This record gives sequence, structure tokens and C-alpha cells, in this order.
Amino acid sequence: MGHAADPERSVIQIFTFSQQPVWDAPWRFDAVRRMGGSGFAIKGKRIMTNAHVVSWGRQIIVRRYQDPRPYVAEVEYVGHDCDLAVLSVQDSHFFENLDPLELGELPKVRSAVVTYGYPAGGEEISYTRGVVSRIELEPYAHTGNRRLLTCQTDAAINPGNSGGPVIQDDRVVGVAFQGMAGLENAGFFIPTPVIQHFLKDIEDKHYDGFPFAGLRVMPLQNPAYRNLLKLPDNDLGARVDGILPIPSTEKTFKFDDVLLKIGDFPVASDGTILYRGNRVSSALAFQSVQAGESLPMQIWRDGQQMDLSLPVSAYDGDRAAGYQYDTLPRYLVYGGLVFTPLSLDYLHTLGRNTPEISIGEMYYELYYRNFEEPSKMRPEPIVLASVLTDSVNANLRIRGRALLDQVNGVKIQKLEDVVRAFETCTNDFDLLEFLPHHSFETLERSEVAKANSRILKTYGIAKDQRL
Amino acid sequence: MNSRILLLLSILATSLQGQTPDHKRAQPSPWERSVVTLEISRKQYDYYQPWTRKTSRAPKTGLYVGDHQILTTADEIFDRTLVRLQKGGRGRWSLGEVSWIDYHANLALITTSEEDFWRDLNPATLGGTVPEDGGLQIFRWHDGNLENRRAEFTQFTVREGQLAALNQPVLEADSEIQGAGLGEIITSNSHALGILSSQEGRMCIAIPATFIQNILEARKQGQYHGLGYFHFFWQGAQNPASLARLRLTGAPRGVIVNSVPDRPDAGEQVIRPQDVILTIDGFDLDIQGDYVDPEYGNLMLENLATRNKWAGDDVKMQIWREGKLTNIVYRLPKYDYSVSLVPSATYDQEPEYLILGGLVFQPLTDSYLQSWGNDWRRRSPFRLNYYRNDVPTQDRPALVLMSQVLPDPYNIGYQDQRCLVVDKINGKRISRLADLREALETPVNGFHVIELMQSDSLRRIVLAAGDSEKEATGRILKRYGIDESYHFAGKVN
Repeated sequence: MGHAADPERSVIQIFTFSQQPVWDAPWRFDAVRRMGGSGFAIKGKRIMTNAHVVSWGRQIIVRRYQDPRPYVAEVEYVGHDCDLAVLSVQDSHFFENLDPLELGELPKVRSAVVTYGYPAGGEEISYTRGVVSRIELEPYAHTGNRRLLTCQTDAAINPGNSGGPVIQDDRVVGVAFQGMAGLENAGFFIPTPVIQHFLKDIEDKHYDGFPFAGLRVMPLQNPAYRNLLKLPDNDLGARVDGILPIPSTEKTFKFDDVLLKIGDFPVASDGTILYRGNRVSSALAFQSVQAGESLPMQIWRDGQQMDLSLPVSAYDGDRAAGYQYDTLPRYLVYGGLVFTPLSLDYLHTLGRNTPEISIGEMYYELYYRNFEEPSKMRPEPIVLASVLTDSVNANLRIRGRALLDQVNGVKIQKLEDVVRAFETCTNDFDLLEFLPHHSFETLERSEVAKANSRILKTYGIAKDQRL
Repeated sequence: MNSRILLLLSILATSLQGQTPDHKRAQPSPWERSVVTLEISRKQYDYYQPWTRKTSRAPKTGLYVGDHQILTTADEIFDRTLVRLQKGGRGRWSLGEVSWIDYHANLALITTSEEDFWRDLNPATLGGTVPEDGGLQIFRWHDGNLENRRAEFTQFTVREGQLAALNQPVLEADSEIQGAGLGEIITSNSHALGILSSQEGRMCIAIPATFIQNILEARKQGQYHGLGYFHFFWQGAQNPASLARLRLTGAPRGVIVNSVPDRPDAGEQVIRPQDVILTIDGFDLDIQGDYVDPEYGNLMLENLATRNKWAGDDVKMQIWREGKLTNIVYRLPKYDYSVSLVPSATYDQEPEYLILGGLVFQPLTDSYLQSWGNDWRRRSPFRLNYYRNDVPTQDRPALVLMSQVLPDPYNIGYQDQRCLVVDKINGKRISRLADLREALETPVNGFHVIELMQSDSLRRIVLAAGDSEKEATGRILKRYGIDESYHFAGKVN
């Protein structure tokens, strides 16, 4: 075990100048935003911080403790699902006399911790002391659709603290990362098991992500249900109530299978496991191994105990249902009509005046279709995001915020289908049909052909598509 | 002090209250003999706890229209327990009864058998025209005086009705009156132009007199069978390319049909997607979907389903189909609250429910969703709300919800479940509470297996059937203070 550094000397101040894409005008970017965050030096001449501190960063500036000199940093690895990132700094002077912080263990509930960082409200480093209030799986707000192990503390965690270390006995036991609206004296940090999982993942120089089983596990506590499944009347076993269309999961499990053990963790009847003294959701057990590995499982099926092995992997089938990063949104501009994939980021551009029926249709497509009608699920639902006004489209009644069903009779499964439907049409008119109720619009193709370059020029769009 | 002195003082006090200091009482308005006050007491239901009842009492305004009939809106008269009438804004109340009510048109007629009530009342004249300066008056009784508020005519237009998702003509006027929309009378000189059905800020929305007259007349003749409507979706033809694609020649006109759901009356489907409707009953349609109404000016075509036409009547349409002019006859289906899979209203019907071992089952209706308050469309659970877009089918004419669980050792493990739509119970498809009750009679190997609709939530619940179920239900009813384990609207044998 190495020498523990003075924590504050290893805490880094980070300034990110970021620019997010505009999701309903995907060729554009929002104004540059300056965001302050924190980080800390880790082994291997790297800085650890939150993914959300550096996301969409155009320029990342880092500063050492009480050192006025700015250094330029780069993102070396980023895990958006776990909201962690590792930065590197080209200038080797940066790491001179900068001791990396050591990682500690998962802290115990009620034990004291200190957060270090550069929160808003001042320029100098700030320390806040608190205790670990609870440990469980919580949603990570950065993507919004993943739940990972989280520690809650009453130490103040404010904007700017993000990415800073949470220290116990001179070792890092977490990375401060989020608060929760409506909760007072409650901040959250990413504990070391998640950090260690991330660091192990990138050892092969590629980040895969946390495994996601795609199972809906429900408590199995009603004696009648246990009797029906011929399960012993004890506190073991939770029921598989839903299976997402992930091949390995679909192949391994059946509805009403009872999970008895995942890896080394016995599953309790309320769907939890006991993890280092904390009762947490059994979903954590699937995250205890790396993507690509297999998990030994013990289940109860048809009145008998069975042993299985589940190959686990990261899942990005629900990527659009969470906030997205790194990859610029895809789009097509045709006759001034802007088409882009449906996503949570796009939904956030919709104002309160958007018709309820349009929002409902898009929301259902994004969050419910996969559960209710997986066979009808479109791999990439496409929306007419907006219409760039031009004489060729001035008479269109539908001006955006509409889910596209068909173009020229082609059912739209992904953006490439839209491109193909326009390219291969041999009629004089393009017919676009929308959901619900098949409302439609028509474009005169010869006029569109004349208008396309004019529209791109008028609106300053370099390319008509990003596929 | 003797009783005679007390009486004198009381009379003096009353007469002082009625006077306005420094002002002579205005000339009595002729409307004082036509406008009456109604007081409606009615049951209010809590759909979270469908076994509970509350009562409310609301004042309304009515208009004497002759034949011992008081005209008002149907709003607030549903689920009524007592109707009372008062003339002159003060004095004795008479017991009233509803002689006719139509929730689709939002109209009602009230009468009373107390002959004294009708003495000195003058029937109002419905109809008239909006004066050129647009100046109108709104009347209602308020604190014993006939309140007369100025209003300024805005427009005639077509809006969804207050109690039914049916488009109807309305008169809109701007006024500073507050808390209106409960049958107040809007007038021009000696004519009642309409009765107020709602208010949005300063905008008062009235049901026009001619619309009311037509319905009352048709009712008298036995020709009114409820309101009809156009059971298809259309869009304006503002985009010339859409008309060009459909090869319509001549000036741009008409609207284009984009979707035609199955008719609720299983009648012949005469209209098709991509038809261009050019005229309805001889009225030319413009590309916005408006026509020029002889009484109201520009109105949306939906009004042609209620313009002196009722459910079951035929309207003639000239349409452009596949490059040719065609004439069709469209029979107006009767509006039904069950036109959506989630019925939009359940008036005069106590909430239905069934409790099985603490699991509370209810029909999924708008009334249930409205428990989430004024902003219920946004605040109620998304998935339940989204079912409102679906139409009933033979397989699934309605939906039953497991709305909540009243915790008990019998249902342990399910206590946090709520707002789940039931698919099957014991292998039988469930659309109504009656289906559910029947399915519970045939448990599977001693269990009730409750399958819930496939979604992002729980799929299956299993409970013990038999004695333990009956004991638990009895125990739960007692513990939670519920009299009956079920209430069905219809007769259940």
C-alpha cells in the first residue's frame, strides 16, 4: 500500500468550456458554457472526475492546488453510465510533486467523510464534513436511465464539487457527483466499488460499460405465489417478472423464474442482496463483474433448483431513452424539413405548447413500446423536428414535433430509411405520414430539388445530413 | 321586549339591507321575471376511495322558457340529490325536478309542481341577433339583486362541449363578470342570445339560443335522438401540393380525410382516407375546413354535424375521390362516452369497484383519472392516460384497473402496487368488473392468478382462493371502514 497523499494537494480544479448540440437543430451548437468542477490525481498520471464535468467539452483547463498556472487536459476515458472520466495532461510538469490519491474501501454507514472540491461561491478549495447516511442503488442523473451503487451523505455537495474526492482516513472512498431536488442536507457520491469497476474496465484501453441484465425482478413475499411456484417458505428468492429483448437474457431466463443466487449473492424475497453489510437491490449483483464475463446463477424453475450461467454485457438498446454524449445527433434536412432520431434530449427541446397528443406518442415510443410491443419497436424512431421556413414548405401545416410513420410508403425504422425513401421515389410528390391518425404532408419533388441548396445556404447549414 | 316589537325591527332591518344608500333603486328589469336561481345539491365521489360519498351544493341560473320549464345547462346537475328553485332572487325555495337533461348538448329543463312558483314569471324569448356595436348583457341573481354585467361580443365559433368531446357552436363574449359559466343568461335587448356554459378568464362562453331552440323543437317533435358527429379525422388543405397530388382541379378548396376509424354503430363506412370533402349539405368548405354559416358566419365544418342534424340523420357530402367527383350520404353516429377505450364520463352513476382481499379493482375512466386534479391530463399516470387514445374493440371493450391495495397479511408483498391495468384473471380476459367477478368463481388450483397488462410494471399477482380470501376480504372491509366489498352500476345476480 502506498503513502497516502495530503488530500487537498491532490485535488484539481477543472474548468470545462463546453458546447452542446441543439437537438432540434442538430447542425448547430449552443453557446459555449463555462463549467467549474473538481477532480483528483490518481495513479498513472491521470485525473479522475465526473463524466458530466467534462461532457461536450471543447477545452478543459485544470489547475493544481494553490498553483495559478492553467494546464490543458484531455479526456482519456469516459464512462457516461457511471458518470466517471479519466483525464490526461500533456504537459508533464503538471504531475510533478503531485501525489496520486489512494482508493479506499466502501465506507460504512454512519462513518465520517470529508468532501474536497471547488464548489461555487469562492475560488479556493472547500472542505465539508459529514457522515455516510445510506448506501443503495440510485439513478445516476448524467444519463438518467441507469441505477448504480451510491452513497448518500449529509456533507454539503454543491455545484462545482462534482468530481471531487470524498475522503476517509486519507483515502478516496468516493467521487462527489449529484444532489437531489427536494432533499435537504443530502449529497451523493460514487463509491469506490463503482470507481474500481470503471478503472478495471479501461485497463484494456477501452471502456465497455456496466453490465445490464435487462431483467425486471419483483419481490416474492406473498405465501400464495410461493406456494404456486412450490418454493420453500423462506426469505429467499425473487421473481423474474419481465425480460428485455437482450439475447443472452432472453435465452437464459423465463418468466416466473426465481432468482436464488446471483454470483456469490443470495437473493432475498424482497429482491435485495446483502452487499458488504448493506441491503441493496439485486441489480447490483449483475454489476459486480465486467461486461463480457459470465455470472453463475442459481434459480428455481418448475419446482426445481437449477444452476445457470448468464453472459453479461453493457446494453445500449435504451440509449435514446437517456441523455446522450460524445456522438453528435444524426439528422437529415430535406426541403427544409429537419428529421432527427427521437431521443430524451430531443424531448427536452419541446415546450409546454407542444400538443399533448404529440408528446404522448413520442413518450410512448421511447419508453413503453419496447416493453409492450417489442416486435413493433422501431430501432430508431424518427421525428420531424422542425421546418426551416421556405417557399417550398410554407404551406405545410405540420411544422415539427411530429413522429414520422412513413415516407412515400416506406415505413420508417431509422434515419437511413428516410434518405432512401426520398432518393428512390419516382412520383412527382413526396408523401410524409405522421403518427397518430396518419396526418400527412406533401412536397412537390421538383420544387424541393430546386430549394434544397437555397435552404442550406439561407440557414447556414454546411451539410444536409449527418448519418 | 314583546314579539310585535321584534317583528317590526326585523322588517325595518330587512328593508334597510335592501336599499343602496344615496341611490334610488333602478327601474325593475323585465328579466327579473324570467331569470331564476337554481340550487343543486349533488353527490361527489372520491375515485381514490370509490366507496365514500360527499355532497356539494351549488347555485345556478335558469331561464323561464314557458310551459313550466326552466332552461339551464346540464353541468353540475349530474349525480343530483336535490334541486330547488327560487324566483326574484330571494324568498321561498320550491322543490324542483329535472324534466329533461342532455349531457352531450349540456342542456337541461327543470320544472316544479308548485303552482305558486310560476305565478308572475314571464317566458323569455330565445333568439335575436347580436347588435352592431356588439354590446350584450349578462344576467344572474346575486345577493338578492339581479346582477347585470356588460359583455362585448367576440365571435361565434365551434368548441368542444363542456360535458362531452363533441364540437358545438358557441358564442364568445368578453366580460368582467366573475365566477360565471353556470347558466347565466346573455342577452341583447329583449332576447336571450344564449346561456353561459363556462368562463376562461374574461372570456364567457355561451350556448347560442338558436342551437338550443333547434334541439328543444326537435325534442318536442320526437326527432331528437342525441347529438351526432363526424367519426373520422381530417386535415385542412392549405398545402396546394396535397391537392395537386390528389389531382383536384380548380381553385383550392375542401379538406382531406386522413384517418377513418371503425364506426361505433357498425354502420356502412362511406368515407375513406384521402377523400377530399368539398361540400357538406350544400355548404362549400374552404381549405381551413370552415364554411359560411347563415347565422354565425365562418364556422368549422364540425358544426355541420349538429346544425339542425341529430344522431342518426344523414348529411350529404360532395367529395373528390381518385380524381372524380362523388356524392355520398354520411349517417351521423350517436356520440357515446365509450367511444374511447377509457370512457370520458360516467354521469349519474356511482363509482363501481370490487375489493378482493384488499386489492381494489375499478373501471378505468376519465372520472378516475380526474382524481389527479385540474391538470389531470399531465399529472395522472402516463400509461393510464395513454389508453385514452385507444378505441374499444370486441375483445377489449373497456379496461379494469387494480387501483390500489389495502394492506393486510393476505396480500403481503403487493402492498405497494397501484394503477395497474388487468389483462386476465384465472385465464379469462377482463374488460369489466362483471368479467372479473365471474373469473373469480373459477380459481386455478386454489389460486387467483391475476395477469396485468404487459408494460413497464408488474405482470402477475397470485393470491390464495377460498376461505382465506373470504376471511381476508371481510377483515379488510371492517378494518378500513368499508360497507360493501363491491358496487356495480348494473344489476348483478
